[in-house]
Amino acid sequence: MSSPESSHRWIRLIEPACTSCMICARECPSWCISIDSHTEPVAGLPPAARDRTRNVLDRFAIDWSLCMYCGICVEECPYDALEWVGDLTQPRSSSEALVEEMVEKPSADSV
Amino acid sequence: MTEVSPQEWLAAAVALGRAGFDYFDWLGCVDEIGRRDCFRIVLVVRNLSAAAEPRMLSCSLPRDDPRIQTVRGVFAGAGWHEREVAELFGVEFLGGEASRLLLNPEFEGRPLRKDEVLAARTGMNWPGAKEPGEGGNPGERGEEGVSPSRRRMVPPGVPDPVVWGDRDAWRPAAAPAEVAESAGGGRVRRRRT
Repeated sequence: MSSPESSHRWIRLIEPACTSCMICARECPSWCISIDSHTEPVAGLPPAARDRTRNVLDRFAIDWSLCMYCGICVEECPYDALEWVGDLTQPRSSSEALVEEMVEKPSADSV
Repeated sequence: MTEVSPQEWLAAAVALGRAGFDYFDWLGCVDEIGRRDCFRIVLVVRNLSAAAEPRMLSCSLPRDDPRIQTVRGVFAGAGWHEREVAELFGVEFLGGEASRLLLNPEFEGRPLRKDEVLAARTGMNWPGAKEPGEGGNPGERGEEGVSPSRRRMVPPGVPDPVVWGDRDAWRPAAAPAEVAESAGGGRVRRRRT
């Protein structure tokens, strides 16, 4: 656990693995994770099947001004969608700018 | 673990020290609210010159007036642990050092008591209040949210508003055990409207 890759410097979202289950946001003792998501119908179901929906992640943000790098979110995620990264969090000019948006482009087409 | 009364506490610690268990390991406190209405003080000492198991000494103090003799005259290192227990649990150590170890001198409250409410958090928007599939600010779509069949989540340290904070005015204040039980986080009872 001493290599830079596994050191406690930065937490990254692996977006495809995230199911918007909210577990990390609820377990975070610093309340630094914000998640927005919406549901949309699952396409391509057999004709007789009943409608099903899935969660789509719209926003995942970590506020580095609140985060204490405890790693509870990384530990708790049941889908391994959060991981430690060796890079440092970058200095910012304001506390607002320390809110790191981790979902690159909100899926505007699906709303 | 040997259980002693508060009156026997100091003498029991002295006896352990004389029996060769003169290496202080730690002293701690447990809030047993919900099981018994008391704090349990635990002292652990070791004998470094013999291959003996560490000895644990335990003592129960009433929650409404927790006082116990200091053992810092027997084990000097215990003074720090006692100061920590004193400020975090509000336990008084008779003959102990009164100054604070960790907390601000102006800070009021006993943060490790289980009925201690994180009052500053009761007025904040908790990011975890949203359900999967919910966007915007929590409560934006009303108290029901996107999944009206599910009971609302509250964060740890913030009691169910029905118990503390938004309690019906005609009801007497909640007992400490009820506050502690409801502040564990999780889903809360549906609001009666």
